[in-house]
Amino acid sequence: MSDIQQYLFEVDKNKSAAKDVAQNSARKLESKELKLINLITDLEPYINAKDDAARRSNSIGYLADVLDAVSPRVLSGQERRLLVDFILNRLESDTEGIGSSARALLALERLGKWDSTLAQRVLQTFVDHANPLKQFKLQSERYAILQLIDLLMAKYRTALQSLHDSDANLLPSFIALFEGEKDPRNLMIVFSVLQVPLAEWDVHAYAQDLFDAVFNYFPITFKPPPDDPYGITAQDLKDRLKGCIAASGECAPYAFPALLDKLDSTAMNTKRDVLHTIQACVVSYEPKTVNLYSVTLWDALKFEILAAQEEDLVNEALKALALIATAFSTGMDGPLTAYLRPIVKECNEHLEDAPTTQSRAAGRILHAVSSAAPVVADRIVKGILPTLFTLFKSSESIAKRRGLIEVLNEILKAYIDMHASGDALILEGLKSHSSDALEVMLRATVSAPKAEVSFRLASLNGLVQLTAIPKLLSDEEVERTVDAVTDMVLHEQTAGHGDIRTEAIAALTEMAHTVPDTVRNKAIPAMMVDLPDSPSDDTSYKSTLEALARLSTETEIFDTIVVRLKSRLSAARHHQAPTSYQHALLLALLYAFTYGSPLQEDGAVRSSYFGDYAEPLLALIKEAAPGSRDSAETEIVGRITNILLRSQTPHFQSTVYRTSLQRLVDEQRTKGESVQSLAPLSLHYFAALRPEVVEPTDVHNLLKTLGSLLLDGANSDASTSVLLRHITLLVNKFLTPKTMQASLQDAGLDVTPLLAANPTQQQIHISLAITKALILLGKTSALTSTYLHVLLDLLPAASTQTAQAFATLLAPDALLSKVNHCTVSPLHKQRTFALLTPSLLAALKTAEPSRKQPYLLALAGILQHIPYTVLQPSLLELVPSLLQVLDLPTSQSTVQDVKPPILAILEAALLHDPDTLSEHASSLITRLLTCASPPLKSKSSAPKAPNTTTVTTPGSQPPPSVNSPAVRAKALQCLTLLPTHLKREVVLPFRRQIIRKLVPSLDDSKRSVRTEAVKCRGAWMGMEEEAAE
Amino acid sequence: MDTDNKDNPNPTILNASDLPTRQRDAHAAKRPSLFDALTQDAYPNYATTDLSSPEASDDSDSDSDPREEIDEQEIYDLISTISDPEHPTSLASLAVVNLPDIFITRPASSTSRLSTVKVLLTPTTAHCSLGTVIGLAVRVRLEQALPPRFRIDVQLKEGTHTTADAVNKQLADKERVAAAMENGTLVGVIRNMLATCE
Repeated sequence: MSDIQQYLFEVDKNKSAAKDVAQNSARKLESKELKLINLITDLEPYINAKDDAARRSNSIGYLADVLDAVSPRVLSGQERRLLVDFILNRLESDTEGIGSSARALLALERLGKWDSTLAQRVLQTFVDHANPLKQFKLQSERYAILQLIDLLMAKYRTALQSLHDSDANLLPSFIALFEGEKDPRNLMIVFSVLQVPLAEWDVHAYAQDLFDAVFNYFPITFKPPPDDPYGITAQDLKDRLKGCIAASGECAPYAFPALLDKLDSTAMNTKRDVLHTIQACVVSYEPKTVNLYSVTLWDALKFEILAAQEEDLVNEALKALALIATAFSTGMDGPLTAYLRPIVKECNEHLEDAPTTQSRAAGRILHAVSSAAPVVADRIVKGILPTLFTLFKSSESIAKRRGLIEVLNEILKAYIDMHASGDALILEGLKSHSSDALEVMLRATVSAPKAEVSFRLASLNGLVQLTAIPKLLSDEEVERTVDAVTDMVLHEQTAGHGDIRTEAIAALTEMAHTVPDTVRNKAIPAMMVDLPDSPSDDTSYKSTLEALARLSTETEIFDTIVVRLKSRLSAARHHQAPTSYQHALLLALLYAFTYGSPLQEDGAVRSSYFGDYAEPLLALIKEAAPGSRDSAETEIVGRITNILLRSQTPHFQSTVYRTSLQRLVDEQRTKGESVQSLAPLSLHYFAALRPEVVEPTDVHNLLKTLGSLLLDGANSDASTSVLLRHITLLVNKFLTPKTMQASLQDAGLDVTPLLAANPTQQQIHISLAITKALILLGKTSALTSTYLHVLLDLLPAASTQTAQAFATLLAPDALLSKVNHCTVSPLHKQRTFALLTPSLLAALKTAEPSRKQPYLLALAGILQHIPYTVLQPSLLELVPSLLQVLDLPTSQSTVQDVKPPILAILEAALLHDPDTLSEHASSLITRLLTCASPPLKSKSSAPKAPNTTTVTTPGSQPPPSVNSPAVRAKALQCLTLLPTHLKREVVLPFRRQIIRKLVPSLDDSKRSVRTEAVKCRGAWMGMEEEAAE
Repeated sequence: MDTDNKDNPNPTILNASDLPTRQRDAHAAKRPSLFDALTQDAYPNYATTDLSSPEASDDSDSDSDPREEIDEQEIYDLISTISDPEHPTSLASLAVVNLPDIFITRPASSTSRLSTVKVLLTPTTAHCSLGTVIGLAVRVRLEQALPPRFRIDVQLKEGTHTTADAVNKQLADKERVAAAMENGTLVGVIRNMLATCE
């Protein structure tokens, strides 16, 4: 049986077996076992089988498969040529198996390049004999032909172009070839094939036919099947189609009217495609072509903006308008004028009845078009501003004036945008109006009624923009502007509505960026005048100092501000100004260094700040006698030191440690009294140091001193807290985990002996501070767990205070952070939760009701710092205890403080795991209502009005409650979630009762609680309405 | 309720920053300071020895402060966010609800607890057919949100509406209000209007 017989036998049953046969034939050709002439001869009876089309098709498939498998150089040039001739000749009389013919030709081309004539002939043959392609029903057949044509277009482009040039009849048949194609894979190729003649050939005579051939597919509504193996998206097709339409300006006469026609469509997607295509056309057609349609386009596109439907369509239409202007911006003066004339006219008309949605739209149009190029902006300004100012002057309506200023601001914004992107601005037109604009805006900000907030804000915004356009205002004008805004910052005393100081400060900060010199020389000195050497009362300087501190966010003027603050501080000291004033100045410095923009070097705050600012302050503190040190001042200086020192290099730090601060450390070592007064400074100072910089002996000595200070001395609450934080910091940061217990014993701070018998409050607090350090460190798990259990053993007999102090274990402390070089184990919360909660819950189960409080307080203290995701898996076990926390007596306000965080946990549970709470719905609701009930009013106001519908009969009054407003508000927030988050059948039975019981909360003494009560009641009332449907 | 044919297709809309907001109490002890964040010790201090000196004493939100009475601004905040039935904007930005048109009358004698809230509405046009619906929505909102010691009186402002008297009569009549709220369509419209209330 010959290969062809075998192939024909297999092909309909087993495609891959047939392929193997063909490959086998190819191998035989290579090894010369089989000659090409014999193969063809064998083929002949089948390929010419008159009555059997399928057989003819299959035999040409065989030929294609063989050629596909054959290696290069097996067939001679002559043989390949003969084969091409053979296939093409065959096509002229028989198109059966045309897909395979195309595949065979593709294979032959791969084996050796064709000359121009051959390529032309291949194309011509298909155009003449396969026209239109849609006569071939199989997608794969058409696909193969399209691939062949695509190949010809890619590799033999000049040959095909010359064919077109010599034969005027080619193009119409070529276009007809693709008519009616519907398959997305094929269309991808059709679009890319048609783009070649559109872009490169002279298609004038057939432009419309070509355009129609592609535009027939507009808009693409293809939706790929869910598991599309070809990965073609609608966007791919849209992009190719857009490329075709935009490829030739010859299509413009057909494209623009057709596109604008589709713009009237009601389908948003069609509109979107139209706008994208118009943009592509404007960019790619010649400007002189666009010129012919610019006004038509404007007339259509403006409606998309003036009668806005969807925001993104507005933006696309604006972009298209801007692109048209861009096309004319280089030397196309006439077209630009013609395009802008109707735009200016129309926008001017809309300005007349400002402020309306249309005047706002006009502002957006002007912004978009002006942004196209500086020359365009200049034209717009010359066309719009005269009208705008005439209207402004002829109207007394503040609303109208505001609308006009908003439009002006839009135009100014275009200038700033262009400046930011590096364009050289043309200021000619704007300059002739800048003084007008400035006067108008200055008058508005300075003398308009304070209640006209939006008017004043728009003007303020305009002033910022005017100063931001370089070389627009004269120096004198900039000064006046800065002066006016500074004046607002300093002297406006409007409380409540109408207070725009915050915006004025923000405006001044922006001006500090664009005109730093003026702000430095005018605004800052003016503000400094408000900061006397020694103020007589506390309030006069406060707002100025705050404004100054906020301005420090602008790098340009940062140094000026801190230098001035520092000199004012030393003047204040010299004049023995009140300490509150000195503190305020120090805080302003701290604010500037913390939230402002100090200069940087090598990724850290510039190191010279430390010498300039921290050191002189430190010197002052060191010089002061221990008794006369002010702890607040010491702390602020400590924090300034911290922020300037912590990111410096180890080298810098150790120099500081060994020299300038050596005395501080020495002093700490020797005199206990001085340790205490320096503790706030020392705490922040040691927080800044890198662990390797510090001498271990210094740490040990300091720990010992701190420990004994805490144990012996009667300290104030504040200083106790500082000393405890200091211990935590030192233990976490400087002690080696391996020798932890030994080091602690050495310092007399081992927790187990500390808590051995009837520990004092101080011993308990030290123990908690040390355990906290270890928890955070996360490297001494055995010791940590021992300590935690010793602490837990305290609980049965613990006072309220002790139980609540458990909260310190996980309480966040900004000092214990990575920037301060502490070790913060990422899992420390999870571990502590896993270690403590089971014991606490077990103890709660067995404890007498009267003895539960310490456990509940400790549990609440721990849980309030645990992220919800961590405690979520244990939620089921936790809920009963959480509810018991809400039952804690309200008599002690510190006990109440644990309730809001617990309510927050319940709130999170309601949001994320409502099902867990469902079974507790009844007890949850009772508790939430109790927590929410307002304090009872005094008896005198008790008489009940006859016609009110209250139900507070004496018997059903809620128990006396003094839950804090925070608890009440939070409880109401939780209660609000129930109707929407728990299952309807669970909560519906409570609805009536809750709506009734919420009535007293509507009259809560606190407004914030009332607001929550209204929301809550609304949520529950909303339920019935659903039921009625 | 023909929404395609609006009574007033292009009403004036107030800028949000021009609407009245609660003024800070002039005598409030202190304005929050920029530096508060720096001075407040974020770290809880449980080392206090004296439990009877609760930290809450300086907390401005404690009950020791005088009662914050329900005032005109609070009423305004309750109803200003109701949406207009034919425009997607709030009654406040359409200036239907205005702060100066809200009046609270405190109890006349010490034996009575009854206060009265009077709200005058300004329809966007003098023949706005939706005046009644807006009035009803305002009334429903206040009934839900105010404690029962308040009597609620919602009216169209004099001279702002061609049929003000008829509408006012309807709004003041408890029976007719109750009957109106039996009407499913009307309830639906009002629920949509109130949906934007915080």
